[in-house]
Amino acid sequence: MPKSSSIFCRQIGASRILWAAAIVVSSTAGSVRAEAPEQPAQTFELSPEVEAILKESCLDCHNPNKARSDLSVASVEDLLQGGEESGPAILPGDSGRSPLILYMRGDLQPRMPKGDDPLPEAKISLIARWIDGLKKASGPKKKLTWPWTKLVKPEVPGVKRTEWVRNPVDAFVLAKLEERGLEPAPPTSPRSLLRRLTFGLTGLPPSAELIEKFSGGQPVSSESIDQATADAIETLLADPGYGEHWGRIWLDLVRYSDTRGGAIDYSRPHMWRYRDYVIRAFNQDRPYDRFIREQIAGDSYRGVYGSEGKIALAYLAQWVQVERTEGPQVRRDFLTDVVSTTGSVFLGMTLGCAQCHDHKYDPIPQRDYYRMEAFFAPLTTTVASVPFTQYEMPLVKPEVWERHEKAWGDVLAERGKWQKEVKASYRKRLADRRYLDAPADLKDFTVAVSDADVKAAVREGLLFSKEEQEAYALIERQTARFANPNSPDYYQSKAYVANDSGLKDVVGTYVLSGGSFKLRGEAVEPGFFSAVTGHGDPVDMKGLSGTRRALLADWIASPDNPLTARVMINRIWQHLFGEGLVATPSDLGKNGSGTVHEDLLDWLAVEFIESGWSFKHVQRLILHSSVFRLAMQHPNQDACAEVDPENKYFWARDPVRLTGEQIRDSILFVSGELNRDMGRPPFFPVAADDLLRRARTWWAPSPREERSRRSVYMLQIRSFPMPFMQVFDGRNMDESCPQRNVTTVTPQVFALFNSQFAHEQSRLMAERITQEAGDDREVQIERAFELAFQRSPSPEDKISCLEFLGERRDDLSGASGIVTADASSEPESPARGSLADLCLVLLNTNEFIYLD
Amino acid sequence: MAKRSLQCCGHYESIPDPRQGGLGRRDFLYRFGSGLGSIALSSLLAKDGLAADGSPLSSSDAHPLAPKVPHVEPKAKSVIFLFMAGAPSQMDTFDPKPELDKYHGKPVTRIYGSLEKRIYVGCPFEFARHGESGMEISELFPHLSTCADDLAVVRGLHTSAEAHTTATFFMNTGAFIPGSPSVGSWVTYGLGTENRDLPAFVVLPDAHEGVFGGSINWSNGYLPASYQGTLLNSVGTPIVDLQAPNGVTRAQQQRNLGLLSKLNQPFIDSHPRHNDLLTRMQNYEQAFRMQTSVPEALDLERETLRTRELYGLDDKITEPMGRRCLMARRLVERGVRFVQIYSMGWDSHRQIAREHRRRGYETDKPIAGLIKDLKERGLLDQTLIVWGGEFGRTADNSMIFFRTGAGRDHNKSAMVMWLAGGGIKGGTVVGETDELGIKAAENVYHTHDVHATILRQMGLDDMRLTYYHGGRFKRLTDLGGRVVKEIV
Repeated sequence: MPKSSSIFCRQIGASRILWAAAIVVSSTAGSVRAEAPEQPAQTFELSPEVEAILKESCLDCHNPNKARSDLSVASVEDLLQGGEESGPAILPGDSGRSPLILYMRGDLQPRMPKGDDPLPEAKISLIARWIDGLKKASGPKKKLTWPWTKLVKPEVPGVKRTEWVRNPVDAFVLAKLEERGLEPAPPTSPRSLLRRLTFGLTGLPPSAELIEKFSGGQPVSSESIDQATADAIETLLADPGYGEHWGRIWLDLVRYSDTRGGAIDYSRPHMWRYRDYVIRAFNQDRPYDRFIREQIAGDSYRGVYGSEGKIALAYLAQWVQVERTEGPQVRRDFLTDVVSTTGSVFLGMTLGCAQCHDHKYDPIPQRDYYRMEAFFAPLTTTVASVPFTQYEMPLVKPEVWERHEKAWGDVLAERGKWQKEVKASYRKRLADRRYLDAPADLKDFTVAVSDADVKAAVREGLLFSKEEQEAYALIERQTARFANPNSPDYYQSKAYVANDSGLKDVVGTYVLSGGSFKLRGEAVEPGFFSAVTGHGDPVDMKGLSGTRRALLADWIASPDNPLTARVMINRIWQHLFGEGLVATPSDLGKNGSGTVHEDLLDWLAVEFIESGWSFKHVQRLILHSSVFRLAMQHPNQDACAEVDPENKYFWARDPVRLTGEQIRDSILFVSGELNRDMGRPPFFPVAADDLLRRARTWWAPSPREERSRRSVYMLQIRSFPMPFMQVFDGRNMDESCPQRNVTTVTPQVFALFNSQFAHEQSRLMAERITQEAGDDREVQIERAFELAFQRSPSPEDKISCLEFLGERRDDLSGASGIVTADASSEPESPARGSLADLCLVLLNTNEFIYLD
Repeated sequence: MAKRSLQCCGHYESIPDPRQGGLGRRDFLYRFGSGLGSIALSSLLAKDGLAADGSPLSSSDAHPLAPKVPHVEPKAKSVIFLFMAGAPSQMDTFDPKPELDKYHGKPVTRIYGSLEKRIYVGCPFEFARHGESGMEISELFPHLSTCADDLAVVRGLHTSAEAHTTATFFMNTGAFIPGSPSVGSWVTYGLGTENRDLPAFVVLPDAHEGVFGGSINWSNGYLPASYQGTLLNSVGTPIVDLQAPNGVTRAQQQRNLGLLSKLNQPFIDSHPRHNDLLTRMQNYEQAFRMQTSVPEALDLERETLRTRELYGLDDKITEPMGRRCLMARRLVERGVRFVQIYSMGWDSHRQIAREHRRRGYETDKPIAGLIKDLKERGLLDQTLIVWGGEFGRTADNSMIFFRTGAGRDHNKSAMVMWLAGGGIKGGTVVGETDELGIKAAENVYHTHDVHATILRQMGLDDMRLTYYHGGRFKRLTDLGGRVVKEIV
């Protein structure tokens, strides 16, 4: 295929071709049962003769840079995309209707080439023949491409610089670098390595002990760094924070939320048990195949997975439920959600696209979408009693549990009591008033006062003061039906479980034209991706004792499934490096980014399966590699960027911005406030009442100690994302989030520089520093840098900070002469900054919120 | 329809694909915030032949909110979307149905899904012709009626959802399931803003009541966070945390910024490949400026008495809406791209005569004031005003409600909206509903078409304004909308 000079159009071309294919297929699909896997885009080539004619006669005006009427003739893709007036310039196999020919012959005006002599008929018919031949050129079925190919462990390649290779991961990377004549960057500083390790595994800054092991970030011998690295990796893998961090990643994928979504946004008060299940599973390094089975069909293995298999089913109950006028549409919403999410989370395919038509890029015919859906056809989800188990206990100690359960009960009881009293008193006042007003003969009949009457009277305001009106409004918000997270049910031993309506009266599944439930097509039976199995036959359900979902779970969790392990390996890499080997982690298909590291990914995927699907095993491998230690700076940066501007081959590392959760947790960590309590129902963060009011919701913040827990335990309410998280590219809770965006926007300044939270934590951090470091300014600064950056301040840093704190510059050399002023106690003082201000500034630096 | 469905998922916007090399996927993802604008822009330029080499612009223009070149000649620079939440009734506002009055009180004989007895409700308001165009407007809007020749009323309109939350969300984002960007986000994504000291997309909520569904209605959805709507409170602090907590002086903040700049510099210097780090520092300076620019923009004390009266600020009932309308004018005057104003409480299942009259009173003078004021200042031509709710209302009511004070229920098959300013042909009426106003009948348009029209007036082509998400290029109008050509 001649390389298109336009970088824009490859996709569009492909999609058009597929459209053509889709039209052909759909006209026959009703009766013919699709057989072997559908083929993805066929590619066409310009024949050299045609290319020469177009180049000579047309390209001057119709090129990618100067496309008259929006048409370029530079490539087949461009021709297929066509121009703005006539659409595609060529219709493969149909020269008679192709605008390109029609314009050349003058059948469409203006005749082309415009203002030039007409092309000789010989040339036109040559082009016409080429167009007519395009159909035939599609030829036999194309071979499946990565990642659909069978997963086999590739040979570890040989390399020249063997001393750089710590394990096979490095060999794969180095081989590619050497091929291109690139040198890997030197290893990063111990401090930066330590930060990468702790944030990569636990999402938190390094602890004092780990910093100590890394000699406080001072240069040390490479052996001792290796030893410290190995120790740190083991310590961190065993840290409970590991499950919280990797659990957060999984919860992003499964669109976790404590509420139902939409505008009604009812509470889902038992969802936290699933959140804790996920955290627990990661901490236990639960094999991924089991993790998959538990979530898709944990109820279907004759009790093998016990309660864990039940709690895990909440994966199926995370959909966003919105109001719909038509009942069947609600069911469609549910099925579409669970099928699409399963496709993208476990299989890394944009399966949802095939709901309305054959997938345009990947070998997933529309029929396969519905065959997949058929596994879920009998599925409904419900709340059921699932007693708390011994597995949940290590997370939450009984006495802690009881204390919180009681506290929540007390809060609700007290609130209820107050509401009742207020309402009763209002009602009485209104009744009394009516009694007074009523004519004597009607007095007995007028005392019945309804809630609506009270409401109207309060609104009118004659009998009630402004404060009383406000109290009433508060009660209305506290008892609102919608978006009200104040559920009394948080502490009940219930969970969201699946309930297949029994295989006897299974609901039929049909191919739905355009995804509309009104346009039923062929009936289908459950079946796996035809591209993997090689046929479109239904799965054998004879003698099936569990649910249909178990068949699907087994297929996904099978070592033979070409997608599952590859998708997860890519995600693991993504969260250790900031970006996956495939940059579109929920789309490993043709339309995704693809990767130049297929071999590395495959090798790790096989390693993953062979290790018994152990996350920690793969993570160890990656973390011990030299690639993970690459510095961000490269001595020959420009030369490298010349060869590989996107740093696809890993000649250096790219910085990673922390997520909103990580920033918040880090702030609490360095201020010393972080409460490492795990599990339990979510805590309620502080939110401006103004905002709550506009979001039509209300809650009272949890006590400070409770609020200082990690962000993964924060209430996740779909209709009200917390502003702090939102500005730092928080996930969209309504759908699976495979990767957080990284944007740099001004409201982030409000959150990190102006918010009550940031100021309060800076003050606490300053208090902590004063406590730990005493009153000496220099020692304080040392300590502040150590906490925030895990390094000592540079001499310049120190000067800037001392100046900021109002110390005289010429005193810097000798500590003795320093006049220490207690600035932290007088924040209004215009003359100098306080230690709390200094802390606030440190929390706002690039260094604090980026990993280098 | 057949043609439209074929366009689903076909994408025409030639944004260089981050996954294809070119600009570089890693670079792209990394510079998502600062770079996206330049990508979108360069593609627009390339499309219009303005940057023949299609090269991305220099980093100084790469801010995601930097002004961008539109697809087509823009008619308007800003949008003010007056969202009448709860859904106003078409037959009581801009779509007179004299035939309906004859049926008032008569039982409905058509068969509904339920066996509930329903009664026809005549319009309790008088209609009269106004302006040179003779546009029929109900007595609810005496002030607005004087602007009849500026309005283009779309009568043959329908939408796809009939529950408040879903429909409100649908009206704002063109989608049913939350997670999609709102119109304002799309517009700022397509055009950027001309004043970076103010948020590009502003939402002014009702003073009394939250919007159905809350923030999903001004969410950036899958677009980058730069295009998020900013909620500005019309009373009190306009933006959460715009100002530092009490007791923190501006001098103190400035000093903090000074230190921050010093401490950041070595990190920025040592990472020359990554300009986000520099952008962050610029954002701090911008935020600092916003601390004065936002309150200044919203400071209505700076307006003359006459102007304040024009918007009804002198009347307790019209004051809340008046404030928001006047703020909207001050914002668009300063280059804010999209302002959305909410007026809640139009949901009149019962007592429509009383409730609609109140809503009319609350909003009529402020909205008319806005139009007149913009006109006087020569801003109406470049400001597109859109008025409407999330759906229309029925011609009938349940028996029980009818007895206690007739109202109207939800109806997605017929609704009314009007547009004004921003290149809209005033004094036009488009489309018709059936004789009782139950269903859009003639010259029928869908709310997606209103979206397409808004984008087109802003110089954006709804088919080309796309964003790659979840495996395909997505757009506001999904399969594409039709511009309401009778009014542009």
